[in-house]
Amino acid sequence: MGLRPSRIFETAKAGNRPGECEDACRDSYPYNGGSARIAVCDGASESAFAREWAEILAEAFVRSPLDLSSLDDASLAMWLSPGQEKWDRAVPWERIPWHGEAKTGAGAMAALLGLEIDQTTNEAGAFSWRALAVGDCCLFVIRNGTLAVSFPMDSAAQFNNTPSLICSNQANNAGLWQRVHRLQGECLPGDLVILASDALACWLLQERESGGKPWETLLEFHSNREWDDWLQARRSERAMRNDDTTLIIVKVE
Amino acid sequence: MPYTADISRANPACFLFLIDQSGSMTQALAAQPGLRKMDQAADAINRILDTISQRCSQGMDIRDYFHIGVLGYSTNATGGPIVTSILPGTTPDQPFLPISQVVDVAEVEERQVRESDGAGGLVEVARRFPIWLRPHAEYGTPMCQALEVAAQAVGEWAGQHPDSFPPIVINVSDGAASDGNPEGPAQGIANLQTSDGNALMFNIHLSDSGGMPTLYPDSEERLPPDEYALTMFRMSSPLPESSRSQAASLDLSVNENSRGYVFNADGTALVQFLDIGTRAASNLQ
Repeated sequence: MGLRPSRIFETAKAGNRPGECEDACRDSYPYNGGSARIAVCDGASESAFAREWAEILAEAFVRSPLDLSSLDDASLAMWLSPGQEKWDRAVPWERIPWHGEAKTGAGAMAALLGLEIDQTTNEAGAFSWRALAVGDCCLFVIRNGTLAVSFPMDSAAQFNNTPSLICSNQANNAGLWQRVHRLQGECLPGDLVILASDALACWLLQERESGGKPWETLLEFHSNREWDDWLQARRSERAMRNDDTTLIIVKVE
Repeated sequence: MPYTADISRANPACFLFLIDQSGSMTQALAAQPGLRKMDQAADAINRILDTISQRCSQGMDIRDYFHIGVLGYSTNATGGPIVTSILPGTTPDQPFLPISQVVDVAEVEERQVRESDGAGGLVEVARRFPIWLRPHAEYGTPMCQALEVAAQAVGEWAGQHPDSFPPIVINVSDGAASDGNPEGPAQGIANLQTSDGNALMFNIHLSDSGGMPTLYPDSEERLPPDEYALTMFRMSSPLPESSRSQAASLDLSVNENSRGYVFNADGTALVQFLDIGTRAASNLQ
């Protein structure tokens, strides 16, 4: 029994180069049996240096301890601080052109979905997990062919173009705590855990609302090529928004 | 559904600005007697182009989500129409530049401005302001002619980008056309199409008569008491449904009858209605 390491698929918005993808994801499965950590971040393309911020946030989630069960406003701000300083150091402030001045000063914005799953079972034979979300990257747990968990969004209608975001400039994180969603639960052997950035998450919920089992499709990709082809086809038929897109699948066995 | 085309570098959208540079634009604005309409018109264009540039900026780089053209219109002393393309290297027939080149041709001025210091006070800081257009005004207002030139350019652009978001034409004027009723030529623009819908015709109306600033009115009854307001309103396209949710996120009140018509007010939002990616609007004002 255990977690099969993540399968990760990530594709930039059509029209952008792969290096311009503003989604970032990281995972970590410690050998010592501690909790596995997986993060998906989605940098807001209308903010400056968003890719760098998404990378920093995702990295921070899997590398820096963040106690999700006792988290509060102050400890979240404290946890964000080193990453914000790192982003600030990464910005070439003296070379910013006029058109980037205001945006860069305001800071980069990104959505964060972080998941922590115990790698060993509890006394009930289940794997406990805790999740944190700011914005519209989503966690889904599929059990016995049905959608058991959909977090933090649970319907396609909830997606819009102005999700809650975390800012690299702490001055622009006022009210952030009110936008933090947390959930905990348990996985059982046979469950499927899916993390998805917004365009894919919205598609999944739409398909499910139409009576489908879209996760079955997501299990069929055996290569990046197959994933890319499928994604481009959905974008072409406008079934899915053209956006940076990330899919992470973890099988619980 | 129309007006849902993805806007990306592979599939850019376009804005064509028309600016009235006729003699009547030297008159003062009703609400701000120290400011002439031509000052306000140039300011509106510069602010809007600044806004578009900033929307496409990634900090260091700029992404070509938009193609931009700016046409000025006036006449010579004998009434002959003059339509000029303002951006360097462009012509009235080929007025468009990608936004990355528009950024390069701006003159950038540094000005001292007062901003909040975050602690309840004000602090003076240096800010850079891009300038593309200086105030200029003389003689007549060949608006019909300008709209026809615009229709030609926009039609050609739509032919080259058949699946793009439809072209958007924004006319900045006091409405006093000197070459006939502009409603027909404006309709000519609105009749142009891509597969995503009809071209959009918006108007920013600058007036020396009174009346409350008005944004996106939904009926003729709500128009200000200006002799040209009705014509300018009728020339303006309804805001597409996909833009209305964007407008709502900018705290603008619009409904299905609202038109892209702005009277003596800031029309910058007209270029913020388009979706080019995740916004930071929920956090940043």
